[in-house]
Amino acid sequence: MSREPLNRDENLRKQRLVFYENDVQRLNAEIDTFLELSKARCALLVDRDGHLVTRRGEPVRTSEDTVSALIAGSFAATREMARLLGENEFAILFHQGTRDSIQLQLIGERTLLATLFDGRTNLGMVRFYAQETAGRLAEVLETIHSQIRKADLNADFGTRAEDALDKLF
Amino acid sequence: MVQINFAQKTVNVKIVYYGPGMSGKTTNLEIIHQRAPEGNRGDLTSISTDGDRTLFFDYMPLDLGTVAGMRTAFQLYTVPGQVYYNSTRKLVLQGVDGIIFIADSSASMINQNLESLRNLEENLNEYGKSLATLPHVIQLNKRDLPDAMSVEELSRAMNAHNAPLFEAIASSGQGVFPTLKALAAGVLRNIMSEGGTKAPFPAPTAGAAQAHAAPQRSQVDASPQRQAAAPQRQAARQPAPFTHPAPHAMPSLAGHPGYPQTAGMPAAGGGFLAPGPAPMVHAPVAGPPHAHAHPPQSGGLQLAQPMPSGANLQLAPVGRPQPQRQAPAGGAHAGLGAPAPARQARATAPAKARPSAARPAAAAPEKSSRGRFTPVLIVVGAGVGALLAWVLMNVL
Repeated sequence: MSREPLNRDENLRKQRLVFYENDVQRLNAEIDTFLELSKARCALLVDRDGHLVTRRGEPVRTSEDTVSALIAGSFAATREMARLLGENEFAILFHQGTRDSIQLQLIGERTLLATLFDGRTNLGMVRFYAQETAGRLAEVLETIHSQIRKADLNADFGTRAEDALDKLF
Repeated sequence: MVQINFAQKTVNVKIVYYGPGMSGKTTNLEIIHQRAPEGNRGDLTSISTDGDRTLFFDYMPLDLGTVAGMRTAFQLYTVPGQVYYNSTRKLVLQGVDGIIFIADSSASMINQNLESLRNLEENLNEYGKSLATLPHVIQLNKRDLPDAMSVEELSRAMNAHNAPLFEAIASSGQGVFPTLKALAAGVLRNIMSEGGTKAPFPAPTAGAAQAHAAPQRSQVDASPQRQAAAPQRQAARQPAPFTHPAPHAMPSLAGHPGYPQTAGMPAAGGGFLAPGPAPMVHAPVAGPPHAHAHPPQSGGLQLAQPMPSGANLQLAPVGRPQPQRQAPAGGAHAGLGAPAPARQARATAPAKARPSAARPAAAAPEKSSRGRFTPVLIVVGAGVGALLAWVLMNVL
């Protein structure tokens, strides 16, 4: 069902994701507790567009940007599948590997928690603590998204960005 | 949507290459991957079919570096062009900040171009967006085709919102960077506008059609003031000049206040568009014509190629050879005529996909050999039965 395009300004305010430092500190604290309890290797908080919000625990071996994009893509595809099957959403995805596994969990409306874990723990532990953490993260994210935030980029960001573009191309 | 993360000090922008199948979206990304400085580009990841058609998306992060204390990165995505993959195409558009529409200049592809454009608008509407307000540029690719339509014709047919047009021969790299740069600049300007009371993107004013003099160099920008101010820098960032004049006319964007492609952004973050003299926003190209095959089976949106079950999906930093969609531009474009880049690596998709295809194949011969012996068994059984009956009747 098509929706009418929103007014551009309203659209931008609603859609832009702005994270301040203390937001991310709160999110990090929750994720750190989760990692400690679940014994998972690392956790990535990714927005639905594929942008990484924060990563805690061990670093990912390859590009975190690419992993984040693929996580978002994987979740988006599953969501569409759920819709076609009459489900609103498959809120949890699990991919099992021989050494590492990954669980993806929807947090609120527009964020995903990806947990990478290995033989030091098991799926039950990860799922249990992820479920608990999801609720707390959702509260923090809801606060963030409910506020209209000013992105206080430097006034000369535009000019400098243009210079950087000139240099790059 | 733009993500601004003050904790990580990052600004992330999502740019999507859209267009009909085989128009050159993946080729654009491959060229960027090949030619962008190593420190700025990430791996090119592709989720494609065995036939090297994009199944879900190609993805490459492009790092602009640290700008005013914020690490600014463009996440570049392509979508699958074939009609069949509309559901995945729509998913990739989620949160898009800017669109580069890659059109195939071939006259035989005009319907596919229009269909794809219509489909883009539809899919954007699903997310509450529209081309009328979303930053976008149009790249007219494959300008070297013998049956390429004129820029004017294509503009009239496709450019309802007066977006900047760029001519390109993506297979040889011509026009690829000017296109990306124009959109990137526009999206960054949009970030600064913060949804305030700035001019919408693109400008609502219509450009007056005007023949252009087919300049000899790729021209992306064109704020005269800026050109005068930084000629050297501009020369450095322009792609190698083309050697043939473009044999066509295009509507100029005179009166189009937007797209000062390299014009300075308003310091206070003005709108995406800034008033000024009409910028020359297209990069005229010409080269030796080369054969782009558009077989009815492989062209664009008319083509629905359902992926066979158990098809071998490809995922990952890949090393796929340049598909033979376009012959390399030769001759004078020596610097640009290098073979298209290979993707970095390729991982194969879930191994489970393959056994499912293999199983029926393995089962088939077994079934047929069993069927072959069945009549023999029946005859032998009947013979044994008759023999037993004879023994019973005559001996007992």
